[in-house]
Parts: sequence; structure tokens; C-alpha cells
Amino acid sequence: MRIIRHLSILAVALLVSPAIAQNYDLPIREHVFENGLRLLVIERPGEQRVVSKIFTDMGALNETPGQFGAAHFLEHLMFKGTPTLGSTDWKREKALHQQIGVAEDALIEELNRSRNDLRQRGVFHDDQHQETTPRLEELRTLIDSLNQQVLELNDEGPTKIWYQAYGGSRLTATTEQEYMKFDLDLPADRVELFLRVEADRMQNSVFRNFDAERMILVEQRLGDLNRAETEYREAMNSLVGRASMVYVPEGYANDFEQYTRRYQRELYETYFVPNNTTLIFIGGVTLEDMTPLVEKYFGHMQRRPEPARYQGREPLPSAEKRLNWRSDTLAPRVEIRYQVPGVGHPDRPGFDVLAEAFEAHLQSVVSAAGIEGKLDINTRVVHTSRFGVPASINIELVLKDAAQIAKAENVLLDELQRLGEEKLPADDVALAVKKLRTQWYRIAVDPNALAFQIGHFQIMDSWQTLQPYLEARDATSEADLRELAGKYFVARNRSIGVVLPGESRP
Amino acid sequence: MKRLLLIAALFAAPAFSQELPHPRDMDLPESNYTRPDPVDYQLVLENGLIAYVAAADQVPLVTMSAFIRAGKVSDDKQGSAEALLDALQNPGLSETDRDDFKVTLKRMTAEFSVEMHDEWTEITLNVPAEDLDEALSMFTGLLRDPAISAANIERAASSAAPADSDLGGESGPALYAGSLDAAVERFYEILYNKHPYGVQPTAQDFADLDAADVAGFHASTFVPGNMTLAVAGNIDVDEINGRLVDLFAGWNTAAVPKPKQLPSPAAAKTTLHHFPSDKLQAWLVFGHDLPQVPLEDQAALEVMNYILAGGHLWTRMTIETRYKYGYTNDASGFLEDKWFGPGGYNFRSYSRPEVISEIYENMMDEVIRIRSEEVTAKELFVAKGALAEGKFQVAYLDGYAATRSFAVERLRYGNHNRSASYVERIRGVAEDDVLKAARKYLRPDEMQVVLVGGDAFPL
Repeated sequence: MRIIRHLSILAVALLVSPAIAQNYDLPIREHVFENGLRLLVIERPGEQRVVSKIFTDMGALNETPGQFGAAHFLEHLMFKGTPTLGSTDWKREKALHQQIGVAEDALIEELNRSRNDLRQRGVFHDDQHQETTPRLEELRTLIDSLNQQVLELNDEGPTKIWYQAYGGSRLTATTEQEYMKFDLDLPADRVELFLRVEADRMQNSVFRNFDAERMILVEQRLGDLNRAETEYREAMNSLVGRASMVYVPEGYANDFEQYTRRYQRELYETYFVPNNTTLIFIGGVTLEDMTPLVEKYFGHMQRRPEPARYQGREPLPSAEKRLNWRSDTLAPRVEIRYQVPGVGHPDRPGFDVLAEAFEAHLQSVVSAAGIEGKLDINTRVVHTSRFGVPASINIELVLKDAAQIAKAENVLLDELQRLGEEKLPADDVALAVKKLRTQWYRIAVDPNALAFQIGHFQIMDSWQTLQPYLEARDATSEADLRELAGKYFVARNRSIGVVLPGESRP
Repeated sequence: MKRLLLIAALFAAPAFSQELPHPRDMDLPESNYTRPDPVDYQLVLENGLIAYVAAADQVPLVTMSAFIRAGKVSDDKQGSAEALLDALQNPGLSETDRDDFKVTLKRMTAEFSVEMHDEWTEITLNVPAEDLDEALSMFTGLLRDPAISAANIERAASSAAPADSDLGGESGPALYAGSLDAAVERFYEILYNKHPYGVQPTAQDFADLDAADVAGFHASTFVPGNMTLAVAGNIDVDEINGRLVDLFAGWNTAAVPKPKQLPSPAAAKTTLHHFPSDKLQAWLVFGHDLPQVPLEDQAALEVMNYILAGGHLWTRMTIETRYKYGYTNDASGFLEDKWFGPGGYNFRSYSRPEVISEIYENMMDEVIRIRSEEVTAKELFVAKGALAEGKFQVAYLDGYAATRSFAVERLRYGNHNRSASYVERIRGVAEDDVLKAARKYLRPDEMQVVLVGGDAFPL
């Protein structure tokens, strides 16, 4: 495999002032292999362990309606092993998987054939449709039976157990709107184990225990729904975004029932290719150590057709939108959201500063107006606070007294407008910048958190965007914030949610 | 038919285009890990105060922590510990400058936390390196001479007032993450019923308390021989050592208090304690007390727990609840020892209510099984590797982690023998050691079973 690119961020650092470069020095070294696989390393000589991550550019953004949450489910399935990890008799197990595949095809055909009986017609889930057919039940029973036979051939501990055995820790995985990643921290001299397992996982995953694992998503969804806030937040997300899957949650129970091995396999085959993958290592390894090892395990993989990446085209903001949410369990609140650009847009770093600097100021304005409430300004959608596509800044005021909702909304709107006309105090902005800088240091000191940021920026835009992004926050002035507010805090870009006391929802 | 077979091949035949060795056959190197030597970090002051100081230069931050061998059960006059906690959490060197202290922390963009356990307390301040001088003086001043007043007692009294026991409301603890915590709290309330670990100060206790009592508790426990420090970050070690000598010179040399040795709670037969909740899930915690574990048993017990139910990993309980049946996202076991008294050993899970009794049954089956037969060589291999080469190494990962680990170990045990011998002790555990530990420390007939939500079920 030929190395076609080898870049050090030190070259990029020459473009910025020495003082700033010292603040955010990220000695990232990069190799991009011929098959498109990207390798990023921060070398920390003498460290005995290495943080290892593998990022794939796919997530909820790549799902289709009716299959929401499928990317997250794929992550779960990719823990179930491979032909060489997790089976006592792969030949027999393979034959069973083939039979399951045939049965699932028949199941899909039966679902299609009986669609007019099964599809939901009632708005209020009033069971005016048929739940199943005898043929569906027969096929599901068959699949259950085949699954049981597969289970008997499973060797306990398909992938995770080997990481455990050889000193791995922080064995986690995450799937969000834009990415899936697998994480490990292990002794540096055993880093080859990570490459062996992840190369196998990337090419040879076997979707064992599909239906049992489906129930784990149900568990996680029930956990989310235990919060009265969850459905309100999902409604707010949907209000803000019209096209982007950034705003859609991790799937509904109805979607979980629809998942098929076929669709999961399509996602897997499409996106888990070397030219859609980034490996990141921070710790006691060097780029020179890692290059031949990566080549050994990933070098045989062919560059595949580039997966179509999500382009993030939201319609232009055209009108103020409003959600009136009635709840007897949620505290009354007013929430105002504006769409903000994604990472890679020059305006995006300023919104981090704005959220920090404006929160304390706005809280004092709210209190001075005699409104009892707690303010939070954030850029979070579902679990994630930054995206490569447009998302939102959220000004949330939770109130003690519902009678103050109208007053609170007016105060917030007036102050948001004023922010576009007058500068925030310089001290507030300077403190916000310092706070963000300190927060960054707290991330950068932890190799696990740092590796995540590098990988996340690579997914959102490019790892090379990270350092300029941090520097741009440092350089943000009061005038910049006024300009941002004037540009983005406009009525047609606004979504307002209010939580009112009232009828209980079903 | 041909088409079906082709699709079937897609399901079952991944692009298996490379011969991959099994991890066992990769000839991965034997661990050559060496734990950092505490002597390299240690500073012993004349008054007996021990600090561990390390440079960690990746970013311009500094963390300073103090560990004090005194907690909520260490006070002789009930409520003193809680009032002192309030004084530490709302710091000021005098009553009038509390706001100044907070403003200074905000200006520094500092992170400040105080955590008081039953037997020990941890105070931590993390600041940018540019604020180190000022922060170190403040931190030291807080340890040596915190402002203590009647206001601390009043605030402690009001925060100790019983809260509404809301297991079903949105503002209560019965949320996705919080409900398990609520179940754990109920478990310990039951386990430590009438035991000193379970006794909370009453309103009368606070009414009987004055600032002098609280100051007396501070003066008798915040003494050099009863405290250790950890400082790590973007520092010059020699300079910090010099500063610590200056800042703590002439400080309290009062006698080191003896920790209270508390008895085990009374044994109780297995009982279900059900707390209804209207949430969509049910939360399960069951277990019993854990007596003080002698050093010779600790490694085998840790290995046994790892095989049975190590946290959210590939363990027997996970296999028998999540992997095979999809009942739950997690089924884990927690060894929660105390420094000087009886701790707890409990198992936790949660699920949709209709399968919670099956989860309990499957988890208990594993408790019985691990007491009945020896674990496999593979299980032992995995657990030893995970503990000796995973968890242990992470505790000394960098200067921040190492200084903290050393400071806690020194305060608790008075030496570093346990960490020095940890890997060897874990490596020495055999199958029959695990069986013995299971029989000695798991008591299936004395499980207190807490169920929050769902329907009560027969045990």
C-alpha cells in the first residue's frame, strides 16, 4: 500500500501566531493509505498505553424513513462477532444464517403482500389494522428456532472478551447522527489486537442474536421515554428542522420492529469501507509503528465506491414556527431556537462564545425583570452539540410559575433583539473565551476525549479544522457576537416552544 | 431459488478475504508494565503531611486534591460532618468573603468539588496554570482554616430535611439514569437500617449543634497525619514542593484521630422490598453487606466478581440476561467496600417490567452457580488480564491519576504495599480460590432485593 499523503499539523501551525499555536498545539500526524483509509496519530513517547478509536462516516443521517435508529442498531450488531470470533462451528452456523436469510426474505415478501391489512391507518393508534398474519407468525417462529440453533454454536465473548483479556479498558461504542465509532484504551505494545479485531469487525461482522438485541433498543427507548422531557424535545427538534435527520431521534419502537437483516447488511456493506474510515491513536505509539501494522490488517481492503455522504440541505428559513406543548408533569418553560451553521462555516465557532457569554447576561436580565427561572443556552440536539450540518442554538428558560410564560417570552425576545444591536460587555466575552479555553484543556488532557474530538471534527469537516476552530473562538470579539446575533436571531429563523400546564397526553 | 440463495449468501458470507489469527495466537507480548514508583512523587513535610506531586505538561492546567480520613460517620456530635461539608462546599476564608471566593473561582474558570463519604472526604480544585499561585493559596487556606458559622449548620439542616419520596414523578429520582440510583439508595437504607452508616442527623441534632462543635470537628480531623495531597499538572515540581512546605509550615500537629471500626449490620433473610412507580421500566438491586475483606482474599474476590458480573462487560450475568434473551441493557455486580466497616455487595439491572422477575431469577442462578462449581480457565484468563493489565494500569495512567491513586492508598492503608503487590496477587488467583471467595462472600439466602417499579414477584 502506497502512502499518498503525509501531513503534519505543524505545517498548518506556521500560519497562525506563535502564542495561539502554543495554546492549541495538536501534533497530529496523518497517513492516508491508497485504499482511502485515514490514520491519525498523536505520539506520546514513554506512555505505556494507547487510546484507539475507529470512526465511520455514517449515522442516523444515512437512515431511511421507517428504519430510524438502524445505524445505532447496527453498532449493537457489530459486537456480535465474526466467523473467527464467536463461533464454535462456523460452517454449521453459516448454513443456519443462510436459512435465516431465506426466511427473512419470505417474511419481507409476506409483509409486502399483506401490507393493506397490516399498515397503520389510524391516527391515534386505535388498532384499526391487523397486527399479524398466520404466515408471518410461522416465519417468525422459524427464525426464532434457527436463532436458537445459532446460539448453541456461539462461543461466548465474540469480540469484547479479547479486549478484556488483554488489558483493554473503556470498551465503548457510540452512534450519533453523523458517525459511528468504536473505542478502546489498551497497553501500547498490544495495539495490534485493536487492528486485528476492528479490521475483522469492519469486514466480517455476523449479525448474531438479531432479535434479542432488538429488544435492547426497546429498553433504551423506554429509558428515554421515562423522561417527560423526551417527547417535548423530539417535537421541538422536528419543529426546527424540516429536512435534516439531525433533528430526528434514535428511532421509535415501531421502527425497531421493522428492522431487517437485509437493511442492516446494506448499511454495513455501503459505509464500512476503508475510504469512509478514520483510525485514531494517542499514546505510546508512533506513526512509523502504526503504518505497517495498519497496512497488515487493513491493507488488503479495496477502495470501494465512495458512499454518498449526507449533504445537509435544509430549506431556507422562511417563517417563525411555534410549538404549544401542554403537560402537567413538565415544568413550564419558554424555549427559543435559531438554526446555526455547521462546523466548517466561519460563523460556527462564535456561537460557542455567544452561548457562554450570553447565558449569564440573559439570566441576570430575566431575574431583573422579576421572572423566576433557570436559563440554559446550548447547541445540543439529541445528545450532540456540534454538527457538520446546520443545527440550532437553544435558549431554554424553565420557569417556576406558568403565569410568567408570556412575560418571559417577551423578555427573551427583546434581549435577543438587543444583542443584535448592542455589544455584550467586554468582560463577559473575555470570561467566556477563557472558560471555553479551559474547557478545551480539560478535554485535551484526556487522550480519550481528545481522540473523540479529532475524530468528530474529521467527520464534521476535517481534523484540520479543529485547531483553527479553537483559535477562532479565542479571537471572537463583542462586535462579532453582535454581528452573529443580528444575522441569525431573526424571526424567520426562529422556533419557539412553550410548555403550558394543561391536559395530560395519552 | 437461485436469487434467494444469492441473497442468503449476502446475509451469511461476509467478505472474509483475509486469514486473521485468533487473538490467542497473535503472540501478543507479555505485559511489561511497571507501576510508577510513589517515592518519585512523594513529599513528606515535617509535620507528617504527605503530598504526591507530578508534572503533566500536555495542557496548562493544574489539579490539586486533598483527601481527609474523616467523613459522615467520623463526628462525635451528630451533624458536625454535614455542617463542615457545607462550609467546604460554600467556601470562604471568612463569612464575609464567601461571595469573593465564588467570584474568584468563576474568574479562574475553576472546577471545584467537595465529596464527603462515610469515612473520608475529597476536595479538588482544577484551575488554569496561570491561576496556580492564587488557587494554591486559596486551597490551602480552605483546608487549614475554613470559615465556619451558624449559617453552615442552618444550611446543612435544611438540606438534610427529608425530601418527598417521589419515585414516579419527573422531578424525582425515577428517571432513566436516576432510578437505578434511587434503587441503590433504597438498598443501602435497608441494609444500614439503624446502623451508623444509615443514621442521618435529625433536626434536633442540628439544633443542638453550634459553630464551635463544627470547628472542633474540623480541627481534630483536618490534621497533617490524617490527610494526603495530590498536585499534578503544568507545574515545576520543585517549586510546588517548596510552596507546599511554606503553606503548611507550622500547621496543626494535633494527634491523628483513630477511625471508627463499625460492626456488620444484623444478617437478614432474603426479602423483597417493592417500591411502586408508574414509569415504563423497573429497577432491581439486590445484595447484602460485605464485611472487611482481608488482603489475602481481595484478589480472588475481585476476580470472582469480574467473572460473575463485572460492570457492563462480557460476564456471566450479562450473557444470561442480555445476550441470550435481550431482557436488559445491563446486569452488573458492585463490590463496594468501606475503609473500616462493612460495605455492600450488590447486583443491579433494569428492564421493561414484564421480564424483571426473569432477570432476577437468571442473575440469582449465576450467584448459585459460581458458588457451586469452579470457573473455567478461559474465564480466569480474561478476568486476570482485565484487572491486572486493564483496570490497574488505568489507575496510574498519567500524573493526575497516579498522584490521586497514591494519595488515596497512603491515607487508607498507610503504605503502598497493596498496589505494589496487586498484579502478582491477581496473577496468583486459581480456580479454587474463586470458588472459595464465592462461597465466603456471596450469601444467596441473605439477599435484600429492592425493586422499584413493576410488580412484586415471589422470590
